[in-house]
Amino acid sequence: MTTSPDVTRAPTTAPKTPLPAKPRGRAVRKASWYATALLISSVMILPILWMLTVALKGPSAVFEVPPKLLPHEFHFKNFIDGPKVIHFPRLLLNSLVITGLSVIGGVMTSMMAGYALARLRFPGRKVWFYVFVGSMLLPPVVGIIPLFQLFKDIGWYDTWLPLIVPAFLGGNPLFIFLARQYFLSIPHSIDEAAKVDGAGHVRIFVSVMLPITKPAWITMSILAFQMSWNDYLNPLIYLYSSQKWPLSVGMASFVTQFAGQTPDWNLYMATNLLYMLPPLIVFFVAQRYFIQGLSALGTVNQR
Amino acid sequence: MFLAPALIGFTAFVVYPLFRSAYFALTTYNGLTDPKFVGLDNFRRMFTTDPSFWPSVRATLLLVVLYVPLSLIIGLALAVFCNQRMRGVGLLRTLCYLPVVLPVVATITLWKFVFNPQVGLANQVLHWLHLPTSEWLSGDDSAMPSIVIVMLWSVGSTMIIFLAALQAVPTELYEAARLDGAGSRTVFFRITLPLISPIMILQVVLQMVTALQAFNQPKILSPDNQGGPGFSTRTLMLSIYDNGFPRLGQVSQFGYASAQVWVLFLVIVVVIAATARFSSIWTYSDHVS
Repeated sequence: MTTSPDVTRAPTTAPKTPLPAKPRGRAVRKASWYATALLISSVMILPILWMLTVALKGPSAVFEVPPKLLPHEFHFKNFIDGPKVIHFPRLLLNSLVITGLSVIGGVMTSMMAGYALARLRFPGRKVWFYVFVGSMLLPPVVGIIPLFQLFKDIGWYDTWLPLIVPAFLGGNPLFIFLARQYFLSIPHSIDEAAKVDGAGHVRIFVSVMLPITKPAWITMSILAFQMSWNDYLNPLIYLYSSQKWPLSVGMASFVTQFAGQTPDWNLYMATNLLYMLPPLIVFFVAQRYFIQGLSALGTVNQR
Repeated sequence: MFLAPALIGFTAFVVYPLFRSAYFALTTYNGLTDPKFVGLDNFRRMFTTDPSFWPSVRATLLLVVLYVPLSLIIGLALAVFCNQRMRGVGLLRTLCYLPVVLPVVATITLWKFVFNPQVGLANQVLHWLHLPTSEWLSGDDSAMPSIVIVMLWSVGSTMIIFLAALQAVPTELYEAARLDGAGSRTVFFRITLPLISPIMILQVVLQMVTALQAFNQPKILSPDNQGGPGFSTRTLMLSIYDNGFPRLGQVSQFGYASAQVWVLFLVIVVVIAATARFSSIWTYSDHVS
């Protein structure tokens, strides 16, 4: 069955009509387009390329004045020494556990809530929908102090629980909204057929809905992955012991802890590249769904 | 049953903290002894005696004023630019989106080194171009613009949303306008802009809320990690963090920090309300539904 709801259909390449132009004008236009494109790309890519060269420099070459763009000699050992100094393997493992669990929890509960709001009949479901959408606008900063106190009181301070458990309880209002929109677009005849065959709601959800809604929950998973992988404030507040830090806090502390003293930027940049790899891989593997999901956001909000 | 986890979470992590923090704001509370009710004392202290409060309001507003218009204009310009049929436009889109994909802390720390006055890339590029160099993050006046540059580097997220909106504009409208002899500027201001105005408003609100709550960039980028030099990049969020979760050996001021949270929250509410009010005047909507 290939039901692909309209909401997530990605707008393909621009059906934009080029404005009429004289041949010579068109050539000039083209040339200026490419010149601008080159300029934009270099602004975007230059810091990353430079990071790569710093990651390959020796300790003294980093602090040369004026700085050289290319290293005289390549120190590939930075990619081994850097992670050792920064305790990269431990931080990576922590990040993977925290992020993995919060992605699973957030996506699962948001999909369930979206299903309930879109396809089950119960009193006040409209109200709940507006409450969830409304809570999207509530800035997270409002809750940080009471939540910190709450988690401290129940003994969760300096554990990963405050970073993981909330994901299992409600996930993300944005995801609930997305899931609901998606579920609304699925024709009712599908679950009616399943009901006639004797399937309950759990069965329908797991074996009928989850396969159909694959683009939706893949998009959510990528977004949830990015959010958790990027989160800096929450782990900073809740995790005291450096053994429990995720990469975000560990990496930042390597740069910020040296009061007045400069960190080994070459070792740091080599490790930073490794830190960037998982999100990059996730993005490029699932890029198709991701762009779809983001476009869905754009069009959903417009209607 | 399907809704249960979300409902429990909503009560525990949204409703409860909301009321609790409103109560904390009216108390002195250090997290160890019980909260003591003091009425509006926290607010009085904030507005009259705390030397860092008004500078932090100034820093926050400066960030909003610099970041929000720039991110919208650049985001839209990039989207229009990337919405043309050219070879390699896909690659360009990917490159523009790349910084958004990278971990925030990784990009911030990278820029911290880019802005190093002696050995950083930023001054090196200015040097090649024979332009005057800058102190970047360590200068009183250049610190906040530097932070805005770092935030603008991730403008790809805004661009992608605008791109989707642009591609949803019906082609017939462009064709009709072209037949009527409209130039590209007229087409943009009379057709494109009105049609994407709902998305524009949404972006204005989202970017303002983002800028008002900026924390990671000023925290990691400021030389002392507290919003320096001076108070130049000490945003309200940094102030809240420092009061509520201070460095070792200092007492948390949960009550005072909560009061600041509420000031920030009210500003955000006012911004959203004002934008919603304002938007009904100038957004285009066809009332056919």
